[in-house]
Amino acid sequence: MVKSIAQKEFLSALRDARFLALSVIVLLLLLAATVVGLHSYYTLQHEREMAQEEVNHHFANSADRHPHRMAHYGSFAFRPKSSLSFLDFGLDSFTGTSLFLEAHKQNSSNFSQAQQSSSLIRFGEMTVAFILQMLIPLLIIFLCYGAFTQEKETGTLQLMLSQGVSLRQISWAKVAGYSQIVALVVAPALFLVSLLLFSQSGFNLNADLLLRLLLFIGAYLVYFFIFIVLSVVVSALNKRSSTALISLLGIWILSCIILPKAAANLGANLYTTPTKAQLDADVHDEVAQSINGHNSADERAAAFKKQLLVKYGVGSLEQLPVNADGLVMAASEAQSSQVYQKHFNRLTGIFQKQNRIAEYLGLLNPYLAVRHFSMSMAGSDFAHYVHYQKVAEKYRYNLAQTLNHIQATQVKYQDKTTRLSNATWKQIPPFRYSSPGVGWALKNQINSIIALLFWLFLVVVTGFKLIDKTKIV
Amino acid sequence: MEFVLEAKHLRKEYQDKLALKGLDLQIKPGEIFCLLGQNGAGKSTTINLFLGFIQPTSGAAFINGLEVTRNITKVKEFLAYIPENVMLYPNLTGLENLALFSSLAGYDYQEAEITDYLVRAGLPADAVKRRVSGYSKGMRQKVGIAIAVAKHAKVLLLDEPTSGLDPKASNEFSELLLQLSAQGTAIFMATHDIFRAKEVGTRVGIMREGELVDVLGTTDLNANELEKLYLNYMH
Repeated sequence: MVKSIAQKEFLSALRDARFLALSVIVLLLLLAATVVGLHSYYTLQHEREMAQEEVNHHFANSADRHPHRMAHYGSFAFRPKSSLSFLDFGLDSFTGTSLFLEAHKQNSSNFSQAQQSSSLIRFGEMTVAFILQMLIPLLIIFLCYGAFTQEKETGTLQLMLSQGVSLRQISWAKVAGYSQIVALVVAPALFLVSLLLFSQSGFNLNADLLLRLLLFIGAYLVYFFIFIVLSVVVSALNKRSSTALISLLGIWILSCIILPKAAANLGANLYTTPTKAQLDADVHDEVAQSINGHNSADERAAAFKKQLLVKYGVGSLEQLPVNADGLVMAASEAQSSQVYQKHFNRLTGIFQKQNRIAEYLGLLNPYLAVRHFSMSMAGSDFAHYVHYQKVAEKYRYNLAQTLNHIQATQVKYQDKTTRLSNATWKQIPPFRYSSPGVGWALKNQINSIIALLFWLFLVVVTGFKLIDKTKIV
Repeated sequence: MEFVLEAKHLRKEYQDKLALKGLDLQIKPGEIFCLLGQNGAGKSTTINLFLGFIQPTSGAAFINGLEVTRNITKVKEFLAYIPENVMLYPNLTGLENLALFSSLAGYDYQEAEITDYLVRAGLPADAVKRRVSGYSKGMRQKVGIAIAVAKHAKVLLLDEPTSGLDPKASNEFSELLLQLSAQGTAIFMATHDIFRAKEVGTRVGIMREGELVDVLGTTDLNANELEKLYLNYMH
């Protein structure tokens, strides 16, 4: 019974030239977005790998330098693209691609695509995620808006019910039929995605990547299912196809355009971010209160040196077994790093609170939930970006302290002329970054998962109960 | 069982209107009962109550001895319904439409059997595999008849089925009804067509403002007398 109706919906849609044309366009867009996204990923990833290799090479082969000079010479940490980021660019286009790592200072990430592109990028990019999040629901609406209204308008609903089938059976059958049609549009693109993705590694399946891809696909299937059931329910509650279509388009505009903007604005208004100038001034003021290794008249540095004399039981800094300058630099680095870290945590905390508003609003809007989840699985969300920043900062701090340690142990006090060869720099491991695992990503997505499951439950249970009460005549 | 279709004090009230005033009616197997009445007289309300599409305010409708409201799915096994305008699914062929509706009733026929039902209902053989979007109203009504026949229903509910049909198609439709009646199917037909009612009906009921005001045997009077009587009630 259910199979027959589902098959009828499938056949009817396939024989509808207008719907077929729309489906083909969406499928072609999906395929194009996959290929273009992958090409962009390869290009950017290659550029970043090359740049990272270049700076690593330069660092390891630097000229003979004083270790603290080397700490200021610094290095760069390029953020590698996540393997799935070609599906969902997420925040990648707006966040920076590299960090300059130097002593005493945490720099912000630079060279985002948005900075280097025209303002058109701010209107959104034609990615696989964009099509899955925005266009497929629109396709679903055009497919399903007449699910019940057309049957009511033509009288086929009464004919069908007179054959002994219930409204609920018809609803499930229609959902099954429409799901098949949506799968027919989406499956070829997702198959191509999987093929291209795993062919990169010669089909040596990476468990983490595979799981991320499966969760990415799974979340979208739930999202599409929610839209299909929602469309069928709205169609059942309306008498006319035109009102059902307008209602559904209203829901789409509200979900996919108005609420996301409202969520972003609400977050920004509730949790205001300081301006960069204000943040820099705050950091500067606080850092000024800590030890300054470059200022010979600095009182805190002088006090620290006195403590060293006491600790080592010597009368002058020259008698110390280690270079006091190196230790002062290390102490200065530790204090300034704490200041930077405090302000970095405060700022990311504000961004996280802003994002959390949108995550909670996922309970009102499945689009927001799937958008967050999709970015997370693609490794292009804010949490992944912060992870990279933290790893880069940890590397920067360790690099600065390693060089301070070299200064303290291999260079004499007040000696500013000694130069160490690049054999020393070659021993310092270069920056390497690995994205966190899927388990880590999932922990950050509890709200989105709950929101998607809540919507699934809501449309299936409440929606079908509403359909049961639909007036037939 | 003596009556396959029965109404006992069947009443339907809407907020601002009394649509059916305590209808009492019994129809035997093989009988064709034609219900005449103006638009809004309560004919379609009666059919919808028998189909269970609306709930009675009081009283009860029975199909094959089962009360409709309490056996909403079960009673559908015994009845078939043909609306005024059988629309079907335009993107499917006549054959696919019949296969679909038969499968909903629990019958999975082979293609040859479905074709046979359609041809017996009067659909040209070459139209069977054409999409319904190209069918005339008469052809769609014939598919509707085929759906009812293929269901082997004991009761056939018809809501102004010949409305808009040309005389030839209407005549063919009447012949099909007589054939079904001869096979024992009880037919309840709401219609405006006095002459068609006199031609095929066993009994004719006249309904006015939700009330069955008269029931006559079709052998008792000719078409002109029936028309005169009907018009008298309508004034």
